Amino acid sequence: MGEFKVHRVRFFNYVPSAIRCVAYNNHSNRLAVSRTDGTVEIYNLSANYFQEKFFPGHESRATEALCWAEGQRLFSAGLNGEIIEYDLQALKIKYAMDAFGGPIWSMAASPSGSQLLIGCEDGSVKLFQITPDKIQFERNFDRQKSRILSLSWHPSGTHIAAGSIDYISVFDVKSGSAVRKMIVDRQYMGVSKRKCIVWGVAFLSDGTIISVDSAGKVQFWDSATGTLVKSHLIANADVQSIAVANQEDSFVVGTAEGTVFHFQLVPVTSNSSEKQWVRTKPFQHHTHDVRTVAHSPTSLISGGTDTHLVIRPLMEKLEVKNYDAALRKITFPHRRLISCSRKRQLLLFQFAHHLELWRLGSTVATGTVEAMCLLAVSPDGNWLAASGTSAGVHLHCTVPAYNFPVTAMAIAPNTNNLVIAHSDQQVFEYSIPDKHYTDWSRTVQKHGFHHLWLQRDTPITHISFHPKRPMHILLHDAYMFCIIDKSLPLPNDKTLLYNPFPPTNESDVVQRRTAHAFKISKIYKPLLFMDLLDERTLVAVERPLDDIIAQLPPPIKKKKFGT
Amino acid sequence: SFFSRYIFCVSGDFVKVYSTATEECVHILHGHRNLVTGIQLNPNNHLQLYSCSLDGTIKLWDYIDGILIKTFIVGCKLHALFTVAQAEDSVFVTVNKEKPDIFQLVSVKLPKSSSQEVEAKELSIVLDYINQSPKCIAFGNEGVYVAAVRDFYLSVYFFKKKTTSRFTLSSSRNKKHAKNNFTCVACHPKEDCIASGHMDGKIRLWRNFYDEKKYTYTCLHWHHDMVMDLAFSVTGSSLLSGGHESVLVEWRDAMEKNKEFLPRLGATIEHISVSPAGDLFCTSHSDNKIMIIHRNLEASAVIQGLVKDRSIFTGLMIDPRTKALVLNGKPGHLQFYSLQSDKQLYNLDIMQQEYINDYGLIQIELTKAAFGCFGNWLATVEQRQEKETELELQMKLWMYSKKTQGFILNTKIHMPHEDCITALCFCNAEKSEQPTLVTASKDSYFKVWILTDDSDIYKKAVGWTCDFVGSYHKYQATNCCFSEDGSLLAVSFEEIVTIWDSETWELKCTFCQRAGKIRHLCFGRLTCSKYLLGATENGILSCWNLLSCALEWSAKLNVRVMEPDPNSENIAAISQSSVGSDLFVFKPSEPRPLYIQKGISREEVQWGVFVPRDVPESFTSEAYQWLNRSQFYFLTKSQSLLTFSTKSPEEKLTPTSKQLLAEESLPTTPFYFILGKHRQQQDEKLNETLENELVQLPLTENIPAISELLHTPAHVLPSAVFLCSMFVNSLLLSKETKSAEEIPKDVDMEEEKESENSDEENDFTEKIQDTNNKDLGEDIIHQLSKSEEKELRKFRKIDYSWIAAL
Repeated sequence: MGEFKVHRVRFFNYVPSAIRCVAYNNHSNRLAVSRTDGTVEIYNLSANYFQEKFFPGHESRATEALCWAEGQRLFSAGLNGEIIEYDLQALKIKYAMDAFGGPIWSMAASPSGSQLLIGCEDGSVKLFQITPDKIQFERNFDRQKSRILSLSWHPSGTHIAAGSIDYISVFDVKSGSAVRKMIVDRQYMGVSKRKCIVWGVAFLSDGTIISVDSAGKVQFWDSATGTLVKSHLIANADVQSIAVANQEDSFVVGTAEGTVFHFQLVPVTSNSSEKQWVRTKPFQHHTHDVRTVAHSPTSLISGGTDTHLVIRPLMEKLEVKNYDAALRKITFPHRRLISCSRKRQLLLFQFAHHLELWRLGSTVATGTVEAMCLLAVSPDGNWLAASGTSAGVHLHCTVPAYNFPVTAMAIAPNTNNLVIAHSDQQVFEYSIPDKHYTDWSRTVQKHGFHHLWLQRDTPITHISFHPKRPMHILLHDAYMFCIIDKSLPLPNDKTLLYNPFPPTNESDVVQRRTAHAFKISKIYKPLLFMDLLDERTLVAVERPLDDIIAQLPPPIKKKKFGT
Repeated sequence: SFFSRYIFCVSGDFVKVYSTATEECVHILHGHRNLVTGIQLNPNNHLQLYSCSLDGTIKLWDYIDGILIKTFIVGCKLHALFTVAQAEDSVFVTVNKEKPDIFQLVSVKLPKSSSQEVEAKELSIVLDYINQSPKCIAFGNEGVYVAAVRDFYLSVYFFKKKTTSRFTLSSSRNKKHAKNNFTCVACHPKEDCIASGHMDGKIRLWRNFYDEKKYTYTCLHWHHDMVMDLAFSVTGSSLLSGGHESVLVEWRDAMEKNKEFLPRLGATIEHISVSPAGDLFCTSHSDNKIMIIHRNLEASAVIQGLVKDRSIFTGLMIDPRTKALVLNGKPGHLQFYSLQSDKQLYNLDIMQQEYINDYGLIQIELTKAAFGCFGNWLATVEQRQEKETELELQMKLWMYSKKTQGFILNTKIHMPHEDCITALCFCNAEKSEQPTLVTASKDSYFKVWILTDDSDIYKKAVGWTCDFVGSYHKYQATNCCFSEDGSLLAVSFEEIVTIWDSETWELKCTFCQRAGKIRHLCFGRLTCSKYLLGATENGILSCWNLLSCALEWSAKLNVRVMEPDPNSENIAAISQSSVGSDLFVFKPSEPRPLYIQKGISREEVQWGVFVPRDVPESFTSEAYQWLNRSQFYFLTKSQSLLTFSTKSPEEKLTPTSKQLLAEESLPTTPFYFILGKHRQQQDEKLNETLENELVQLPLTENIPAISELLHTPAHVLPSAVFLCSMFVNSLLLSKETKSAEEIPKDVDMEEEKESENSDEENDFTEKIQDTNNKDLGEDIIHQLSKSEEKELRKFRKIDYSWIAAL
């Protein structure tokens, strides 16, 4: 394998921006995530939670609301007062439309998906009709005194609930008038606090409205009478988000303390039909505010100021306890943010709104460019491979399609073999001149990968080759760096996959017997980039999580018992 | 009880009925022959109470009149009892099957019969492999299901479906779940909700548990240590929990943020129960206390027995004013305990600090206390030693205030000595014009403190200051003692006793026996005030004559406790041997004991005290004369408080032997514990056992030995140990032994007298044993055949255990 000199780079000052909204699409099992810098990411939950699409943001386009409508159409709205529709094929913004209501705080698509509702700073609720290629303003509802922070449709589409400051109003969609107004208690642990902001509402089919507010309460209201049914005080800080399951038997709320609470509807006694909402499990996966939550049929999704996207599967909804039942925490984008020039020894860092060029071993050079987004790989020779978001790889000819998206690929310099890594952690090698998979790739597929290899959390983001050793493939994800030696036997499930480089005191025979094709190093993590500079030098770019956390605003102080 | 008027608690073999309003014990239900393990109100008649016991019976009581209604004999040991209103004719008990750790919950069908004693043999198993403790089983939702917990399991049995579902928590897989064990369980009275308490202080509320997959639970976490007990209020709107923090927590609507506390309950909460009417809660504590708490979390009444949570450092003292027994109580407190009424009079907070209960924390200990000047002054010493060199010492002097009828802190002295204080004594002479206190310490000094005028311009005040510091050759001062008239002070320095003049603080003379460190030191009283007694660590008891400054006598006796009787010349000494503890009562003027009681306890006796009687008794017999003016109480290592007593005057003619009044350490019985077996009960119990034996063998009534045994006056009877073995043997052997029964009695009688009269040597311990053997031997040779002699010897070896069981 040989030894390498390693440039350990830690000056990549990358801080992901906070997650503002998540929207789950039930039809395609995809998740849209918007960040405070306006970036929108699309995750494919069926493809191993891979981030398959990415819309770069802009400072002026901070999103406040995100929703799916009409199946596959994605809309966002923000404080600049515009509603934006995204083109998911071309990966660009289709159009932006001003709603003329000041900053937009909330947006909700109707249960049928044909109408879009927005809540504005000036207290107006506006209804838009979704046409095949645009949206069209339809009507204004009764204007309220203060901004509309949250909106929810009744599943039948006849009523809506709007959360404002200090009260919740219920509108009749047909007439557009406010039917009920429910005043939310400002009291907070006995003391009258500032205004009570209703951060989220949810309208259930039985007419119950669930509200979450800045006093830390989760409250259940009867919309028919406009009365408070039950109140749960769950946090000392704001409760900022709510999401209800489609079956309406459970919902999830996120608090500014970083806790996510799960509520379930359970029968009071075994033989009665009476049911009640009960707070069940708290999850503490965040350190900062949970700004947004989503409820997919099998999992709870939450994101917030600490930039992690957390996907917590619900054990009771899963049939089998396999690797999918594990908790996922997505911090880094599933893209390569760094590229490296071997000849000049330069590193190029890609930030949200600018690029940085660093010369290894010397001073800094920076330049600001427009945001960019591409997934293309160019070989040394005269071949070009391009991969769209739709899992296929196009060359001069097309590589046989595979049903998981490509996370990284590269063409080997001498053999013109194309190495492709997919989000389900499979790795293929395709010979471009021969137009079929190589023998090694076929052996690997026949043999199957090690189960631990398939259970890794993060996708492979970069593949490169050793200029002098054609049998070696270098690849890495966020937590490991691996050199695949095609000449060595493949590991089976019984062998140790994460075998650290064997100790030198063992004899060659033992080394040879235990050696397998995957040489894995986990020294560097979280690893954002690793490449060969020359035959004997590696460059590794790390971004320690502590450094990111240090740049975040301080979390809400909580007294920890025993300190 | 149903209208919250009475509260029931289990105390050893009895069930006590207390009034919730007056805290008085109204009835004692006795009839069980072993520990009572469970009590429940009869759900179909709220004036009746079921109780079960390890003796295998379930008894039904009318608790208003204290009458036993019925006894159901089940046969095997019963560990807990449950009743359900819906199951009218059956109750549930836990029994032990084969292996020692496996318990089963079975339902017992109670046959309907008019007779007093009924056999209930119809058992059917409900749940297997459960925990012994009744806290680990709960019936829910009007008896639809029963929940039981053990280790990491929660089992729920549904009576209608006859199915059991079992939920497991992840056990010690990682550190986070290492203390996931279940400790207790409670069921919501209206909804299908089970609350379980855990080792790590969490409370889990289980719901939806009909389905082994879809179940869900909520966590409530406030306790930092194990949850000891849980109870739902009658309507189920709130949940009560308690534990080592001694805080009662009320969770309203089962919400984490909505909780109320009742803090500073004094000791670990062991049990919580809720009255059926719902207006009262009740907690029992590890310090032998029951608290009755109103619905609005206000403590309304306290039923407090003798606190015995921790080790006793101060020893037993008598408050000269109230005649109450004073000793360490709650941490940092002195308790005043009335022996007459078995009640705590009050607690004096010495430390005046919040007690933080945490394992491994080194606490401040109240180590010494002494009363002086007829109860006007109280001196206390507290110390905390974290490391060898870091000693914190504080001496406090308290003055009795007539106005508040309590002690008020007068002087606080930081670090009165450089090292631990070993002894503390007041000069209690009647004529002394100035209160004087002497402290002896390991730092080789003893200090004399006197009360001085501490007035300033603001008010008149008095305070204590150091008057004299004495030492002797840098030896550690181990004991100090004032003579009765206060003219002399004796201070022992390791092996040497020094006598000081209390007027001038001059060293008068020294006594040295070079026989080990002095452990106890005391002056004789009244006519014997010229004598000074000292007991050393290696088992020598010496008596010096202060007039001649010479050793009067010495004896080989490993003295553990030496206590002078304040009202007579007598001194009681308890010696420790491998077999048990022996009591000797003697006068310093005579080197032979007035009275000997062997084997008073199998454990080490730690402290003893004479309690003056209000009305002197007049025991004519020589053996009991020492008890005429005072009663002797002593405390063993397992914190049993025992005394020597005789029958009350009107019952004097009935045959009793010496009684051991036991306040045994808390047994692990369910529900409420409270201490205190009354002397009367003890007597009755002994009589009862005797009677029972007679009932079982009616023929033996004719045996003259037994009738004689029962009609001989108590004071001439030998120790109960002898009686018992003879008694049992008389029932076993044939008629020939009748004569043998009569004879040993005489022998024993003589033996005691002999041992009292015939001693002339100083070394009386050995002598006694010799005489015992000799006397026995001689008498037996005179009057008995060889085989009978062997029998008698056997009696001596017979186990003493039954006396301990009293």
